This record gives sequence, C-alpha cells and structure tokens, in this order.
Amino acid sequence: MNADRRGFLQGASSTLGALALRSLFGGDDGKRPPLAARAKNVIWLHMEGAPPTLDMFDRKPTLDRLHLQKCPDSFLQKERFAFIKGHPLLLGHQHGWIRGALGTEVCELFPHLAQQLGQCTLVRSMVTDQFNHAPAEHLLFAGAPRPGRPSFGAWASHGLGSENRDLPAFVVLLSGNLPSAGKALWASGFLPSVHQGVEFRAAGEPVLYLQDPAGYDRARRERALRAGVDLDAEALAAHGDPETAARIAQAELAFRMQLSVPEATDLASEPAEVHALYGTTPGQRSLANNCLLARRLVERGVRFVQLHDSGWDIHGTSPGDDLMTQFPAKAAQLDRPLAALLVDLQRRGLLDETLVVWGGEFGRTPMNEARDGSRFLGRDHHPHCFSMLLAGGGTKRGAVVGATDELGHRVTETPIHVHDLQATVLCLLGHDHEKLTYRFQGRDFRLTDVFGKVRRELMA
Amino acid sequence: MKPRLAIAAACLLVAAAGAQQHWAYRPLLRPTPPAAASGFGDGPIDAFVAAKLAAAGLPPSPPADRAVWLRRAALDLRGLPPTPDELAAFLADDGPDAKARAADALMAGPAFGERWAQWWLDLARYADSQGYEKDDLRPTMWRWREWVIDAFAAGMPLDQFTVEQLAGDLLPGAGDEQRLATAFHRQTMTNTEGGTDDEEFRVAAVVDRVDTTMQVWMGSTLGCAQCHDHKYDPFSQREFFQLYAYFDQTEDRDRGDDEPKLLAPTAAQRAASARIAAELATLRPQLVAERRLALPATAPGVFAPEPAVVAVRDDGDVPLAPALAALRVRARALDAELAGWRGPAVPVLRELPPDRRRTTRIHRRGSFLDPGDAVQPALPAVFAAWGGDGAPAPTDRLGFARWLVSPNNPLTPRVLANRIWSELFGQGLVTTLEDFGVQGEPPSHPELLDWLACELRDGGWSLRAFLKQIVLSATYGQSSAQSAAHREHDPYNRLLARGAAFRLSAETLRDQALAVAGLLAPTVGGPSVMPPQPDGVWLQMYSGAHWHAAQGPDRYRRALYTFWRRTSPHPAMMVFDAQSREACVLRRARTNTPLQALVLWNDPQFREPAVALAALAHTAAAAEGDYAGIALLWRRCLCRRPSEGEGARLLELLADERAHLQAVPQQAEALVGAGREGAVALAPWTVLASVVMALDEFVTRR
Repeated sequence: MNADRRGFLQGASSTLGALALRSLFGGDDGKRPPLAARAKNVIWLHMEGAPPTLDMFDRKPTLDRLHLQKCPDSFLQKERFAFIKGHPLLLGHQHGWIRGALGTEVCELFPHLAQQLGQCTLVRSMVTDQFNHAPAEHLLFAGAPRPGRPSFGAWASHGLGSENRDLPAFVVLLSGNLPSAGKALWASGFLPSVHQGVEFRAAGEPVLYLQDPAGYDRARRERALRAGVDLDAEALAAHGDPETAARIAQAELAFRMQLSVPEATDLASEPAEVHALYGTTPGQRSLANNCLLARRLVERGVRFVQLHDSGWDIHGTSPGDDLMTQFPAKAAQLDRPLAALLVDLQRRGLLDETLVVWGGEFGRTPMNEARDGSRFLGRDHHPHCFSMLLAGGGTKRGAVVGATDELGHRVTETPIHVHDLQATVLCLLGHDHEKLTYRFQGRDFRLTDVFGKVRRELMA
Repeated sequence: MKPRLAIAAACLLVAAAGAQQHWAYRPLLRPTPPAAASGFGDGPIDAFVAAKLAAAGLPPSPPADRAVWLRRAALDLRGLPPTPDELAAFLADDGPDAKARAADALMAGPAFGERWAQWWLDLARYADSQGYEKDDLRPTMWRWREWVIDAFAAGMPLDQFTVEQLAGDLLPGAGDEQRLATAFHRQTMTNTEGGTDDEEFRVAAVVDRVDTTMQVWMGSTLGCAQCHDHKYDPFSQREFFQLYAYFDQTEDRDRGDDEPKLLAPTAAQRAASARIAAELATLRPQLVAERRLALPATAPGVFAPEPAVVAVRDDGDVPLAPALAALRVRARALDAELAGWRGPAVPVLRELPPDRRRTTRIHRRGSFLDPGDAVQPALPAVFAAWGGDGAPAPTDRLGFARWLVSPNNPLTPRVLANRIWSELFGQGLVTTLEDFGVQGEPPSHPELLDWLACELRDGGWSLRAFLKQIVLSATYGQSSAQSAAHREHDPYNRLLARGAAFRLSAETLRDQALAVAGLLAPTVGGPSVMPPQPDGVWLQMYSGAHWHAAQGPDRYRRALYTFWRRTSPHPAMMVFDAQSREACVLRRARTNTPLQALVLWNDPQFREPAVALAALAHTAAAAEGDYAGIALLWRRCLCRRPSEGEGARLLELLADERAHLQAVPQQAEALVGAGREGAVALAPWTVLASVVMALDEFVTRR
C-alpha cells in the first residue's frame, strides 16, 4: 500500500471513528440533560448488608429505657421477618453518642464523620419494600426487586454520556465481597451494554484484560494497533459498514485506556497529606482507597462512581456480625475515609457538582434478633425505616429530613421511598425520571418503574 | 348452500374478522409468492424480497464471493468456520448443487447440534447455578444441555422439541429422556438466601415459566399483566393467572436442593451400569453357592436378591474360604463402581398428586400475599378463539404445550420462523423478536414471514429443512457491501437489498479462534468446563466454589460448555454481550466497545490460539516464504487470499517485528512462551496472528 493511500485511509478512519464514537459514548463532551442540572457526577457509597443506621444517626432514648423488654405485639402483626422467631426483645443502643456539626447526635464511633454533617442532608425516614438483601439492592439500584433492569449508573450514562473520552462513564469499586445481588447492580439490563458499569479492581489489573501480555511493550502494541487499523480501514473503504468505523474508534480508545486507567488509578501519586487525610495505603483493597479513587475519577469526568463495601449485615449471630465487635470494626473502616472524601471534594471545589450518596439497602429492627438463641447482639432486616446521607450536588447543606417513632420502628415524618430518592437524584442530574425512558419488550421502562416523586425537601 | 359456497363464505367471514385483528393473531394461510424477478433468485423467498425491493426502487446486491458465502453459512449453520480443506473442496466444486451439498455437510455433524443448542440456551436461561444471592452451583444441569444438543443433532421436529420440554413428564408412557427434557423450566432461579420466604420465590419461578413460555413461543410479553390488565395487548390480569395455573401444579417449591430431581445417566453411563449389573448377576449365584459351602448352617433367605452388595453380609470373625473372600472383594468393587455410574440427578418438572394440588388464585397487584379469586387453567380469550376444529381447550400443561404447536396456533410458527431467520440475518423480519403484540414492530415482509411460518409448520417442523431453504436463497447469498444508496435509504437493511453483516456472538468468536488455530477439542456434551478467566472474578459471598482453569483438552472446548454462573458469568463473554441468564433473553444487544478490543488482544483465551495459529503460519513461511505464512493466516481466519495492499501491510509489520525482536530476544520468548525452540523466528508471527484475530473481518460475519 503506498504512503498516500495509507495516509488517506488513516485520515478517513479517524474521522469516521470519531463520529462513531460520539454516537456510542454520547459524544466527547457528554450530553446536555433536558433540565437544569445541579450535579454532574455521582459517588454512591453502598454499605452492603445494611448498616444499623438506628445506632448511627437516630438516637432513641426510649429504646434504651426498654432494653430487653418484649417489643409491642403490634410489631409482630402482619410482619415477615428474615430471621426473628417468637416474641423478640427490644435492643437499646450499645455505643455512646457525640454531638456533631449542627448539634446532630451521632454515634461515638464516627467522630470524623460527625464533624462533616454540616455538609450533608441526613435523611432519617428512608423506606423500602424489600426485606432481603438481593431484592432490596435490586430495588435500590435498578428500581425493581428482581434482576434484569438497567442499573442507576447505566441510566446516568445513557442519559448523560461521558465527560472523558479516555475513561468509561460508569465505574464500580468494590471493597470486600460482591454485593448479594451481584453484578446486576451495575448491569446495563436492556440498555446498550456500552452503558454497563466497568469494575475497576483494587488489586491486580484495574480493568480486566487492560494489560498487554508479556512480550508487548507500548511500541509493539501501537504497531499492532496501527496495522489493524490500516487493514480495517481498507476493508471499510471496500464495504462501507459504519460498524467497522466504530470498531476502529473503539480499538483506539482501548489503546488510550491502557494509559489513562493506570494513571487515574495510581493512588501512589497522591501526596502524603492526602493519604493521611483518607488513611489510605496504595495497593490495598479497602474502602479508604476506593474513596480516594472515587475522587480521582470524578475529577477526570467519570459520571457515576459506585462503591460497594461489604460486612454491614449486623445480625448478631457471632462476633463476626454483631454490634459489639463487627460494627465498631466497620465504623473504623468507614469514618475517616468518608469524612475525608467530603473534605477533599469541598476543598477542590468538586462538591457543588458531585452528589455523594451513602447508605444501605434497608434498615435494621429495633429488636434483638437472637437467632437460635444467640447471645451476641444484633438486629434483623427492617424495610420500614432507615437513614441515608446525601451531600453536595444540589442537596441541602446541614439538614435533617424526616423522623421515626420513639423506638425507631416506623417513619412518622416525611417518608422517602427509595423510588423517591432515585427520582430526586435524576432530577439533580437534570433528568425528569418520568421522561428518561427506554422502550423494551413493548413497554417504556424507566428507573423508577411506575413510582417515585421528586422530593424538594432534599434539595437546596 | 352448496358445500363449495359454504367454504367460500367461511373464508370471507375469516377474512372479515382478520381485518379487525392484530396481524400476528390472524389465521396463518400460505401466501402465493409474486412472480420471480429476472436476474435474482427464483425461489419464493427471493420473489417476496425482490417484489419489495422493486417497489422501493432498490436493486438487490450481486452474490457474495463463494468463499464468503461458505464462511457465512458455516458460521450460521454450525458456529464454526470452514476448514481449509472444506474451503478448497467447495471452491473446486462447480456443480449446480454445490451450495446445497455444502449446506447438508455443514448441518450433518454434532457441531450443528451444539450451535443450535447455543441459541436455545439463552432462551432457556440455562445456567450452572441457582441464581439470587448465594448462587450455589447446579452441577448437573449440563445433562439437560446434552439433551438439547442431541435433540438438534438428531433433527427432532420442533413441535416434539416443544412438547417434551414443557410437558414431557405428562406424556403417556413418558421415558427418562422426556422427563429430562422438562429441566427446561427448572432453569428458574432458586433462592437459598437465609430468611427468604420459599413460597415467594416459588411464585417468582412460576411467573418466570409463564413469561418465558409466552415470550419464546408466542412472542408475547405478559409480565405486566401479573400486576394489572395489560395496557396494550388483550391480556387481563385474570387471564395471566389462568395461564399461570397451567404451571402452578409442579412439586418444586424453591427448595435449596432443587428437588424433585431425576437420575439421568448418559448413554455411556447406562452402558457401563448394564455391564456391571450383568457381571454382578453372574457373580451372585456363585456367591450364594460358595457361602453355603462355607456356612452351611445359615438359614435360607438371608440373601436379599437386590442389589448384590446387600447380599454380602459382613460376618466379622467367621473365617472365609479364599474363593468366597475374592468373590466378595470383586462384588464390593463392582458395587462401588456401579454407584459411580448412577448419573447426574437433574431437577425436572413433576406434577403434584391429585390430593395435593394447589388452588391457583389471582395475586392482587401482583402480590402473592394478597390472594384474590380462584382461577382454573385457561387460554386468554384472544387465543381461545383459534380453536377452529372444536378441539377442547387445554386443561393441563401437556394440553397447553400441544396447543402451542397445534395447527390452530398461527403465532408460534410466526415467532419461531422469525427468530430462526434472525439468527441468519442478524435481525428478524419482525425486529422485536420478543414482542409480536401491538407494541412490537410490524414485519418488514409480512407475506414472507407467513410463507416461512407455513414452511416451518407444514414442513414437519424440521429445523434443517427450514435453514436449508434460507441459506440457498439469493437473498441470503447477496454481498454485504454497502453503497451510498443503502446507507441513505436503508441503513438498517430492513429491505434486504444486501447481505447481512454482524458481529459474531461471544461464543462463536471464541469457538472460531480455537478452530482456526487448530486447538478446538472435539468432545461433544458432558459437564461444564473452566477455560482461563482472570483471578478473583469468582469472588462470592458464601460459596467456597473456586474457578480452576482446565489444563488439558477442556481448556479448549466450545464456549457453550463454559461454566455459567449467574452472578459471575465469564467476563470475556460478558464483554461480547452474553447475558447473565437470570431470565430468558430473546435478543442480545450487539455492542461495540473498547473492552472488546482489550479482550481480543490480551485474554489468554485469544492469546493462546494466536500462538498456535502463529506456529502454523511460521511453518508455512519457513517452507514457502513469508507470503505463504500470511496467506495461511488469511485463509484460515478470513477464508480468502490477502489483497496486494493487505499482504504488503502485513509484510511490513513482520519486518518491523523481526527487527525489534532481534534486538530484544527475551521479548520473543515471552511472546511464544518460555522454553520454546526458535522463539525469535516464531514470535513476530504471534503478533501478526493476534492482529488478524482482532480484525473487523474476523469478528464479523459478512
């Protein structure tokens, strides 16, 4: 092939490739949402298993007073428990309380986070429909209690595109085990799979198959890429299939990701002061590392970063899942990194455009579970009320929304269903949850199914 | 009225009713193909397509090169590319029936069964695990997959294929194979998470069976009628639960052990069992005789006749004659061996006995906790009207399965014909494969669809005969090159003015890589296997199960045998749009992402074939020069010769790589694997092979 022809084809391929890329990734600059957006990015920290938010953010002196007394009979009527049998006893708080910013009472195990509540909207009145982990997680992240629907991040990618042409729009970070509902929580469902979350792994390769095999250096990879692009471009000239142009563009993006992803995930390049703030050690698989990584990713324009941290299923069947040992251990892993993330986003001017969401998939009972007579203290699954934290991205700064009754059993004020939360987050991102739809199997599907209301109470 | 007039009047009535009816529900009558257009194919398919093209003012495309046709047909019909020998033989065959002979040959072997089983597994939501949170393994489901492969390979008619899978257990005189077939509907998920309500997930499984059945066979999405009357299609919530009632009487109830199960030995296991049982049968009289000699005082009758090992009582301190001891050892060994040949226990459908049948009730707002009126099994009114011959409405699962494929049902042949067509054209005549309701897309060629549906139904439901008609049509054989007119007037090729081009499925891509490299292991059937996957992918909450990549031939089996865990399917397959199989998937997306390039470059599943293919090219090059090596790559991977420009570009890359590797020989060793002879000579070819195996033309079927 002579040089002129090759030059022509390369020129043609990159033009075609760029065009195709725009249609696939929603353009280099992302899509403009239809409504005025308050948030550009989301960092969602999911505490897998459901943390005992009753013991973290919703102090109940009456519960302490009635500790180890039988719960009211009304608690058992028409109620299905995951594990509780017989007539359970109420369980008071097991840790002390401190005053955080704005005078809000917070469990003493979270001293750093307590100081940051001034940045946050604390919602004490979350409600869900599901009392088992996987269905509740599907409901929270995909709007329906069973697998198969697109996840929140996939909807965000679909509705907003990517802001960085060298990185995916939706990234998932795991510390601990996979969530109960598995990878469905970042699946694209029936949306095009370009929108599915890409798992960046904390150890080993940050993206599967990113690293070239032994024997390839960057120059060899580039020579191979160029040869492939030239050959594809010649084929494209012969048959004119736009998919081939897209494939060329995607190969070029893959080649760029081989550099951009290791750069974005290189925590070691952060100064010591930042590591001290988060409590991070590069190379570890930890929530702290993932908090710092999340900040680096939104800084680079990743639209939706979803963190899952496992180990919060505080049933009290052993020291491994009880309120006295496991809960303080998890608190220590969460407190400083989450506070650091809020501080760090704020001082970099990123908190205004980044919405941080923290919480689990449901709440936990005011009663002690005592499964099979266990002597360890813990709480069973409870869908009727739980707390979540929101910060930045157009939410109120320093607000408490909603309330529960004196035992933390039911919401008494401003119930916020998980579908309402989804509608509100979409609204902050500039999308009407009733209009961001996708036609599949003869129906227009949306994240909030046929439910959800935008809740102005949560917005600044 | 004279009889002839009566028929005519009835036809008029049917036609009048049909005019009101949604197209998909109209009676299926064979349309007459239009007069054939000159210069295009002369078969009915081509006549329908040509008429539409003439009306649109687009000419059909010229035929694809014969080699392109062969690669296309081979990938479509058996999911594996032509071998170099097959290619040479086909190109040398200039007889008028060369394509027909080739099509027959491509559909002859077990690879045909594997390829169509591959297709069916998505519809059946096949997996090797239970799904939901714990996602424990289902280590015996492969036995049902084997049933599917065998059924396709043996040419089982699709109506029988349907009835056996949905209700084989209820067939009069049902054998083990028919019972095994019903594992189709035991692919539903089982929830073993602690604290879950088994009834809730049994209900979810039954709902899934209704949804899956109606989508796969009827192209009807009833899911929303579970909670309320369907918004668009004529299905009420009551009718949903009447359908549900057909499936509500099986014994399974979300048990962690997936009972009820059927012991389903393979043919080989049955043969082995028979051999051992025969030897035991000859051994038993000897044992009895020897034992009487040794212990004459023992009362008669202590030896139970079956099984033999029970007959061998351990008498502790009684000294044994050497002959008896030897017999006992042999009998014990045989018995242990017999246990090993019992075969897998596969979850199947089994109907509840009459005294334990459930009362099916409507679930108000879709909640099983809020039961409403009791309902009996019945067809939705819109379908019940089809029972033209006065046949009674089906009352049980078997009746329902038979009704699905009865001549009175116009929807099933339309849906299946369309779905099979889409496997060969990348999209259906109705693009919404899953929705033939009023919200679905209408067919691009309604008469062609009906003609195909009649062919399928009236042709004995033979998949092979149906496929052969299609692949021999001129429509199928057109070149897939796109002109400016195509892009402007018909970008999605709905009019079929050109051949179809689409990216291969995740499984076919992997199979093709193994095949062109000569690595593909030929074993058919058997348990699922574990090819390489990255470490740490199978992180699971409770399960201690681990992924151990196979080292022997199982490393290189066809991808339909790859172990399929719902919460963690093989990541490279997911990158190419495989689904997690939590529910039935009627239409996979076909995406084009950067991660796909990374898999093709870096996944050991593609790297190892690249090295094997490179060795073949290197050998050819050593004997006949570099161009011969490049020609081999092109022939094996793309079924053609390289153009002058392509050849020159690869020779340039080869020279570049040689120059660089000469300078850094340790890289050469890394490329081909440590300790391999002649690494520096071979290594540049691995780069070339890897480039070719990531080419658009390689990953696309054109």
